[in-house]
Parts: sequence; structure tokens; C-alpha cells
Amino acid sequence: MHQAWIAGKPAAFEAAVDEAAKLLDACRQPLIAGLGTDVAGARAAIALAKRTGAVIDHMHAGPLLRDLDVMRSSGVVLTTPGETRIRADTLLLVGPIEAWPEWLDRAAENESERERRIIWLCPGRQFATQTPQRMNIGAIGKDLKDLPALLASLRASVAGRPTARTAVSSKKFAETSNALKAAIFGVAVWSAAALDALSIEMICGLVNDLNNSTRFCGLPLTPADNAVGVLQTCGWIDGFPMRTSFGRGFAEHDPWLFDGGRLVADGEADCVLWISAYRAAAPAWRGSTPTIALTARGAPFSVPPNVHIEVGCPGVDHDAVEYLPAAGTLAAVAARRPAAAPSVAAAINRIASALPNHGDRPC
Amino acid sequence: MLTRIGGGRVIDPANGRDSVGDVWMQDGKIVSAPQERRADATYNAAGKIVMAGAIDIHSHIAGANVNTARLLLPEYHSAAAMRPAETPLSQVGWTTHEIGCLYATMGFTTVVEPAMSPHYALHAHLELADIPIIDKATLAVLGNDDYLLGLLHAKESDAAIQDYVAWTLDMSRALGIKVVNAGGAAAFKENVRAFSFDDVVPSYGVSSRVIVKSLQRAVHALAIPHPLHVHCNNLGLAGNFETALTTIAAAEALPLHLAHLQFYSYGKEGERGFSSAAPALAEAVNAAKSVTIDVGQVMFGQTVTISSDVLRQFNARNQAKPRKWVILDGDANGFGIVPYNYRRNDFYNVVQWAAGLELFLLTRDSSRVFFTTDHPNGASFTTYPEIFALLMSHDLRAQWMAEMPPAALKVTTLPLIAREYSLTEIATMTRAAPAKLLGLMDRGHLGAGAIADVAIYEDDADRAKMFRSAALVFKDGELVVRDGLVTNLRSGRTLTVRPERDRAIDRRMRAYYEDRYGLSDEFLKVPEHALGRPEPFAVVPCRL
Repeated sequence: MHQAWIAGKPAAFEAAVDEAAKLLDACRQPLIAGLGTDVAGARAAIALAKRTGAVIDHMHAGPLLRDLDVMRSSGVVLTTPGETRIRADTLLLVGPIEAWPEWLDRAAENESERERRIIWLCPGRQFATQTPQRMNIGAIGKDLKDLPALLASLRASVAGRPTARTAVSSKKFAETSNALKAAIFGVAVWSAAALDALSIEMICGLVNDLNNSTRFCGLPLTPADNAVGVLQTCGWIDGFPMRTSFGRGFAEHDPWLFDGGRLVADGEADCVLWISAYRAAAPAWRGSTPTIALTARGAPFSVPPNVHIEVGCPGVDHDAVEYLPAAGTLAAVAARRPAAAPSVAAAINRIASALPNHGDRPC
Repeated sequence: MLTRIGGGRVIDPANGRDSVGDVWMQDGKIVSAPQERRADATYNAAGKIVMAGAIDIHSHIAGANVNTARLLLPEYHSAAAMRPAETPLSQVGWTTHEIGCLYATMGFTTVVEPAMSPHYALHAHLELADIPIIDKATLAVLGNDDYLLGLLHAKESDAAIQDYVAWTLDMSRALGIKVVNAGGAAAFKENVRAFSFDDVVPSYGVSSRVIVKSLQRAVHALAIPHPLHVHCNNLGLAGNFETALTTIAAAEALPLHLAHLQFYSYGKEGERGFSSAAPALAEAVNAAKSVTIDVGQVMFGQTVTISSDVLRQFNARNQAKPRKWVILDGDANGFGIVPYNYRRNDFYNVVQWAAGLELFLLTRDSSRVFFTTDHPNGASFTTYPEIFALLMSHDLRAQWMAEMPPAALKVTTLPLIAREYSLTEIATMTRAAPAKLLGLMDRGHLGAGAIADVAIYEDDADRAKMFRSAALVFKDGELVVRDGLVTNLRSGRTLTVRPERDRAIDRRMRAYYEDRYGLSDEFLKVPEHALGRPEPFAVVPCRL
């Protein structure tokens, strides 16, 4: 049996829906955040944002927009997990890749016809604890703080320019540079969760330069909670990624202005619809902003939200469409254990239909 | 409900009609004029032009590559600037909502997304489902995929290839098959930087010719209405008209469609070694009765090129304006997104513009040349009204050419061409012929039994104005546009074909995906319920 609460007290689903609609209708600047949901949930959330003039954000917008910012200000050569598996003879892992730890196991699956060489720049502590035994990985550098200089020097070296000494021995450095140039189909892998935008831009520049003589591609590892699926949905519906506002009657995108955390901290948002269907996550911020929560069971709120509705997990409790990292694309996922808890889309659509109609906005 | 569109000039070349009269609709279909019943509703079309809804056979409107272009270019979203109307690309039809509305406003009711990678099929269909009003369809891209190249390498039978093609169409819910720089994307992964029709993909030992011919045969044998849709090798390069001529010759007796031929109509004449070879190509097309083409007209202004021809896009990346781009070595084709600005005073861009118009005007049979800009590669689909006007008026072309560099026009024959398209020829090219080419016998005409997709225009001497905003548009008999404004955001369908296949292929493909990609083939499926719309698909019958 699914559950709902109003101000921490158990309530009927319909009463919670009505209370949520009342809060959304009364506020001046709603924020739809978290947004850990499937494509149907994202579609419903964007439609609700259009109707209420809300801002939409995602809990992993930070790393996602770091990768996107590099793309939309320079050039990137990318590939897919599938091509990496069947073709890569050289993998360049850059920094910690905790966003998708299982990826290391997949990286070990070499379906190409050649031996696979793996070079890991500044892996940090993950290297010792998580590297599968069977993998032949050479670590270059340790601390993440050495990474920017190491990346820049590698790029300069690959382009035939002189370089200063880096944190690693010149022999090891030269070996690495030569190994990259000798790759037949190389793939650089990183997780934006661990890197800043300048390091990502340097990786992409290095990859682009390597393509002057051989083939090399980038493979950014993507955050969880269907971040990419929500990003794609935002893209085709609004033309923009998340951190977009509908407050002025049309879509406006600004990564700083419409950062949900900032809007709450600065008191600009006066009602939050927090969504986390894949796991019981609560917002990182604290405070007294009125909150409607649609989450998996047990989200650790320090103060009970004004309205809390337990929703089903996409692909577990109900059929869903979500981004499948191993396939690198959106896929339909059938419910593994169909359950009655409402989906995010169903809950939002109920809230939307409980909103008073103030007259349609022009399309 | 019985509806009469009364007293308009009805231009319906499929039924040999060009006369003033009525068009009747009932329950979403065109019906014959009833003997004794009165209409429940009447729309006065006196003084107006009545045509079937238009059909666009090649426009990149949905999918992972299109969405990447949106995310690459946020500054071109109309809302990104305070002066939306003056922002480059602001009229592109950037979002799914705008695409449906802008097409409907021009009287287009069916649009084909021509480059759906089977691995991204669900993504493409999710976007299509969110495009309102119009019907849609997709072409699935094959020809650089490991499985097909493996079959050809192993010299497998035609039947094996047919089963794979039929399986692909069914899984990805496509209307036809396209091949993009056959073998070129696969060869690029092996560091090949130039790839022609008789070049060989190193690991597989198969040439572009072998790939194209095998797919052409398979599509024909499966009785899929739309012939193989070919994006040739060497797009955009000086002297590449020879590649197109070679491909036309390779069509032989079986149907073959060559996409955006303008991008292959370049010779090496003149001081700059770049000229229009469109007359030679048009002559070859005129002679090759099994070949159809679409143009891929260039118009001036900022746009973004979106192509599955990853090799071509990689080589063009340093011409990106603004200077940013995305290249994806994908499963099979991948894509390249390169923004570009076609300029009216640029020698090369003017040659491209003129070559496209030459192809339109020198191809004699308007049922074998199709109207496209390869949206958004040559120009946005929102430039169609201007192109109709240019085709219909020699004077208008002369006015445009008066402001262009004479040196560029000198390496083309456009100034010498007097032909002007008639409204009937426009209707043939955008209605009757595309319906036939795609096997959509229920549209593209206004005969009894056709679905009631009707576009009604003011008969304005300014043809661009006329075609830009229709007076009335009906989709399946529902009024969707009045006086150039959308009145109804109904949902259309996505059209598919489902040829027969030996089901053993399903087991083979499941094993292939598990072995090769370490994945269940479930991720390829496009279940109806995933799209979140009632009845999202309609199946088009194969040829009898």
C-alpha cells in the first residue's frame, strides 16, 4: 500500500494531492528539483513547470552541465560504451570514476581483436581498492591536484611541443604520451562528478589532437538517477537542458540563475517540488522552504515536508523509459516487480488536475 | 460530420484535377460529392488554392543527433535572446512543439525523419510522439553496422540480409531504410579519412558499392514501398558529381533514391576549382528512370548541419561557425553536428545555392525530384516558402542573383534557365509524388478515400507569403490551422512498415547482442506504451 503524509502525519493520497496543488497555486516562484524520475515523469514535470511558471533543475545538473559546457563551447569527439567494448585497444581513464563503479568491470570486457592497454591518470584511492585483479592497468600520477598539469603536458607532448616536468617521472610521462599516439582506437573515459570543466576541456582537446594522426574518442560517464534521460527530455521539449525557468511564460536557461540550490539558499524559490523516485534522497539544502516531496520510501528529510507522497521506482514498480548507461541510449524497461505505488508522472498529473484553472496560457 | 470546402481552385495532380470546385470530407476522409445531403459545415475557399497536405520526405526533426544539436546551440533558441525574431536560427523549429506547429502552418501534414540509428530508435520515437498535429515516419540507417558488414564479409545469402533488414524495420518501427556514406563511418573507425564508392572497409573487405547494392536488393525483395534511400560518399567535396554519377549508374533497373543531391553536384571548373555540375547530374537523372532524387537546397543564413556521415562531419569540423561541434563514433553510424553559416556573398555558398536550383529546374519530371533542404543541413524547413517562390519566378531569381558575386554564378548555368514551376508542378513535387515514393496511397491527393489532409492557401502573387501561412489546414479532417495560426494541437501517428521475416533472425540477433555488446536486445525495442500516446503507430502495407 502506498503512502502519503501531510506535515509528517499520514494522509489519504487525494488529500495530499489537494494540499500539494494548494501550495503550488499559492506560491510565487515554484522550483521543481531532484527530478530523479523516468522520461514520463520528466515530461509531466516540465508540463507542470510550464503551467506554474516553475524552474526545473536536476540533482546531478552540476556534473551534467560541466560536460555540456565543454561541448557547447568547443569541439568534442565522443564514442559509445558499445564501440569502446568492441573496438578500444587503449583506454585512458582520467581521475576517479566513482559515478559508475561497475564500469570498471565492463572495461575489462575486451571484445576487440587486440590487447587492451589501460592507463589511469590520477586515479586516487579508487585504484587500490576497486581495480579488478585481472586488469592490466598502469596508474600515472596519484592525486587529483596533479591532474590539470599532467593533462596539459600530455596534450602539449602529443602535439610535439616542449613540456615542463610533471608529477611523474619523465620516463613514465614519455611512455604514456607515446602509448596514446600509438593507440589504434583509443577511448578517454572520465566522470564529470570528479573533474572541473577546464580538465574536461583539456581531455577533449587532447582527444581532438590525437585524431590528427590516429583515432581517439571521449566517453564521459554519466550520473545516476536518469540524469541523461531527463536532460534529453528537457532538450526536445524546451530546446534547453535543466536549470531552465518558465517564470516569464517561455523557456529561459541559465546555469547559475536557475540553480535550484541557489534559488533556495537566496530565498528566491518559495515552494519546492522535490522528486527522487530511484532512491530515497532528500535535498542537500536545509531550511524552511515549503516542500512537496515525491520520493521512494524513507527519504531522510530533517523536517517533514509539507506534503510527502511515496512514489514507485521506475523499472521496478512500473514500466519506464530511462537512460541505460551500458547501451548509451534511452530504453524501455519493464517493471521487475509491478506494484501499486503511483509513478511520478501519475502523481504530478493528479496534482496538475487539482490545480485551479486560471485560464490557459497561449501555446 | 460532413464538411464541404467550397469553391476553391482544387489542384490535385494525382487525380488530374485543376479546377474550381468543392472538396468534401467525412469522418477524417475525403468523400465524393454527396447527391442529396447538405454539409454540416462549410468553409468558403473561393479565390483560394486547395491542395492535399504536403509531405516532406527528408527532414531531420527528431532523434539523438537532432537533440544534441539543440543542446550544442542554446544561444540559437528563440528564447535565448531578447529579440527572438532577429536571432539566427530562431525560426528553425527548435522544439518538438514548434516543429509540429511550424510544419502545419505551411500546410505540411506528413514529415519523414530520414536518419534514425536503430540503437536510438526509442529516443527518436519519443521525440516524434511529442511533435503535435502532423504524421511522422522514420528511415532506419544501415550500412555501417557490424552485423550487416559481417554478413557481407561472409558472403551470406540475400535471404539472410533480407531477414536482417526486416528485423531492423520491425524493431525500430521505421518506414524504410537509408544508407549513409555506406562503409565510410566503419572505415573512419579504422582511421580511413576518405572513402569512395569502390573503396573497401578494411576489416570487412566490402566496398560501398557492395553495401548499397545488397541493401537495394533487400529493400526491393521485401516489397518495402520506399526504395533504398542513399546518402552517397564524398558529400561536399569538389568533383564529387562523379561519385553521384557512379551511384546513379549503379542503380541499374531497380529503384534507388538519392538524397540531397545538391551536396554532390560540384565540379572542379573555374579559377577556384569549384563549380556547379548540376546540369550533368540532372541529365543523368532524366535518363535513369529508376532513380529519384531530393535536392537539399541551400539557403543563406546561420544553420547547423546534422548528419550521420561522421567521416564527412569530422573533416568539416574546422569550418564550424560558431567554432564548436560534436562528432560521435557511434554504434554503426554515429553522427556529427557542425554549425554553419551560409553566406550570400560567399563564392562557395552561392555555387551551392545555384546548383540546388539548377537541379530543381533541369530535372524534367517533377515526380522524380523532391523538395527538401535536408533540414537543417542546407537550410531550415521554414525557408520552404521562399524556395517555392524562387522556383516559380525567373524574375525573383534574377533579383536574388543581382546581389550575388558574378564569379560564383559564372560557374553555374542558373542565370540561363527560364523555367518556372507551376502550382501543379509544386503540388506534384510536394504531394502526389512523395506519397507514391513512400507508398502512402492514402494521402498526397484529394480523391475519395484519401485521409482528409487538406491545405488551403490564399492565391497571393507573393508565393512565399502564400505558402508561409496557410488560410486553413485540415489534418484527418480536423481543422488545425486557421489564418496561419495553429488552432488544435492534436497528436498524429508515426507510419511504419512491417515486412515478413523468418523468425530465426530474432534468435540470432538476441545472441549477437549478448555476445557482441554484452546487452540484451531488449533495449532496441520501441513498445507502444513507452511513448505515452494513444495509438502512436500506423502500419503501411508493403507492395503487392
